[in-house]
Amino acid sequence: MTDFTIEIDNAVKRYAEHVAVRDLSLRVPRGAVYGLLGPNGAGKTTTIRMILNIIAPDAGSIRILGRPSTDLSITDRIGYLPEERGLYRKMQVRRVLRFLAELKGMNARDADARIDSWLERFDLKTADKDWGLSKIDELSRGMQQKVQFIGTLLHDPDLVILDEPFSGLDPINAQALKDTIVDLKRRGKTVIFSTHIMDNAERICDSVCIIARGEKVLDGSINDIKESHGTRNIALALNGPPSSQVSTILSDRSLVNRVDDSNRYFEVELADGADPQSLLQRVLATGATINRFEIVRPSLHQIFLERVGATGVEVGMSGHG
Amino acid sequence: MGKLWTITKREYLERVRTKWFIIATVFGPIFFGAIIIVPALMAKKSKSSQDYSNTRILDATTTGLGNRIAQSISRGRTAGGAEPQVVLVKPGDLTQAESTATHDVMNKQISGYLIADQLTLNGETVRYAGRNATAIGDMERLRSAVREAVLAKRLEGAGIDSSKVRDITFMPLRLSSDRITDKGRGGSGTVSIIFAGVVAFLLYMTIVLYGQNVLRGVLEEKTTRVAEVVVSSVPSETLLAGKILGVGGVGITQQILWLATTILMFKLRQPILEKFGVATMPFALPDISIGLALLLLLFFLLGFIFYSALYAAAGASVNTEQEAQQAVQPMMLLLVATAIFINPILINPTSTLATVMSLLPFSAPIIMPLRLALGSVPWYEVAISVAGIALACLGATWLAARIYRVGLLMYGKRPTLREMARWVSYSR
Repeated sequence: MTDFTIEIDNAVKRYAEHVAVRDLSLRVPRGAVYGLLGPNGAGKTTTIRMILNIIAPDAGSIRILGRPSTDLSITDRIGYLPEERGLYRKMQVRRVLRFLAELKGMNARDADARIDSWLERFDLKTADKDWGLSKIDELSRGMQQKVQFIGTLLHDPDLVILDEPFSGLDPINAQALKDTIVDLKRRGKTVIFSTHIMDNAERICDSVCIIARGEKVLDGSINDIKESHGTRNIALALNGPPSSQVSTILSDRSLVNRVDDSNRYFEVELADGADPQSLLQRVLATGATINRFEIVRPSLHQIFLERVGATGVEVGMSGHG
Repeated sequence: MGKLWTITKREYLERVRTKWFIIATVFGPIFFGAIIIVPALMAKKSKSSQDYSNTRILDATTTGLGNRIAQSISRGRTAGGAEPQVVLVKPGDLTQAESTATHDVMNKQISGYLIADQLTLNGETVRYAGRNATAIGDMERLRSAVREAVLAKRLEGAGIDSSKVRDITFMPLRLSSDRITDKGRGGSGTVSIIFAGVVAFLLYMTIVLYGQNVLRGVLEEKTTRVAEVVVSSVPSETLLAGKILGVGGVGITQQILWLATTILMFKLRQPILEKFGVATMPFALPDISIGLALLLLLFFLLGFIFYSALYAAAGASVNTEQEAQQAVQPMMLLLVATAIFINPILINPTSTLATVMSLLPFSAPIIMPLRLALGSVPWYEVAISVAGIALACLGATWLAARIYRVGLLMYGKRPTLREMARWVSYSR
């Protein structure tokens, strides 16, 4: 048995007009929560579809759970939540779930028992109402999303793949999803999810891979990535909007390489050789009130912007994610 | 195999549970029942309206032929039927009398008029004008009445006793036709034609309805994106196969239910018709051997697979109902072209057209069963036909599977034919 749930080596996928994935190699450790990060059109969905054997790479090899991705026996051990969600609208919730479970090789009786416990866990079955007996289109959007999570996890997969799982979720469902991911990790499952929201990834993931234009930009554990991006970042919070003097200091290229301006909060990346103390002194000299001044490791968001930049998003490539 | 069954089961059960299926299954036999009862009722109704007192006979022969015609018409009718009115006209006044009669028909005083003149006496022509001039039954009855009257006149002229003439000429002859095939007598010819027509029409309807059903199913899975979840668990070919089998199963279920209830209604038609006060028609069910039934089923299955595979490919290549309507046009063209020929082939089942249409894969699933129902077809033609459709099925499903698995995950604009051709060449 290998230590990796997913091993991709030099995978390539070309379409008529563009290359969706070029020479991608990555390793997802067993039991990790792994983030696949990248702007829209970077090749995330194509990568996920190749992992799922929905499409085949033009070149390269993909091994899942120690076997080639074309091995049909592994599909029963994978749970997949696609980016665009939907279920058979006219079908009863319970029947949809049973159908999805049977597609994963479960028998109807085992499925029924699990469906009940999952419906209860997600508040879809309470003392006064069993939504399992309703049709899908009688459910609210949030409830439909819960049903789809259940469908993804019902067969207790070893590998869970979630494509943009947080998009379109209300805060309550987003929290439920986060809790579920953490719970899966504690039970030794591997979770891989794609997102372009870095804050989510930073909080949940053990490791990430950032891809742009179909290529890997960087990958590794969150800690290693942050470590390698040094300690040249400063978190600066002011008690009010910045004066024009402060703005001038922050746009001084000899001192500041880059700044993420959130009005009263700034994430500042110092220029090479610049001293954090001189920045602090110059800002204080303007008379500004500083609420926070801290040397920090860069956020994933900063690293992403730095490494991918605005050019990472190729125009007109959003069709395949 | 287990997953193919899972998909087939879902496709089947979800469709059988719909209101649409239940309604169609119940109304089908009612519709067929109406086909049997309504003509019988109509026949009864038109019989009672065969009151010829509203018909005027303009007799310009001066030989009393008009009165004889009137007698002939009323003879053999139910008792109390009034005779038509006879007006004797001089040959010179005929034009005047005719225009008066025309006005009377227009004013609805009479329903029509018959002109008996020298030509009629010669047995050459007899003219009729009236509101019911298009009713084939009425016209046939008038013609035979006139024929009878002229014949009686001639017999009398030859010196035969007038009381005997009545008996000699009275002849309500009916034609009853039997079909003979290679296997011997095969029941009534009319029944065979009706049966063959019904079979062909049913096949056509079922293929169109359930083909569209496959298309809508594919489109639903694509637009709701369920397809993506399913094809992450099973190969897209399995999904396609399960869908076609499931929907085909619904089609066969419906046809068996329709057939069973229709046969039952045929068996019970006497009491039902009596309720409507109509006498039972001399109408027998055609003898369908098990072999023929199985052969018909085979043709339905092959035809359904051929067309539904194409419908599935069309469904996978589009994103909306409107686009789907355009995408199905090639299939509809083939099906409608076939349906247009049902009638000519019914009339002339041994023509070259019938033979060719029953061998071409796209029309064979409808036309060959029609020929089989009409009479015997050489076994080698059946074999060629089956082999042809089977091959076409293989080709269509292969093509459809390739377009399907790419199209299912493609959103956005509708592909051009060239793009679809490229999809076929994609490895996966």
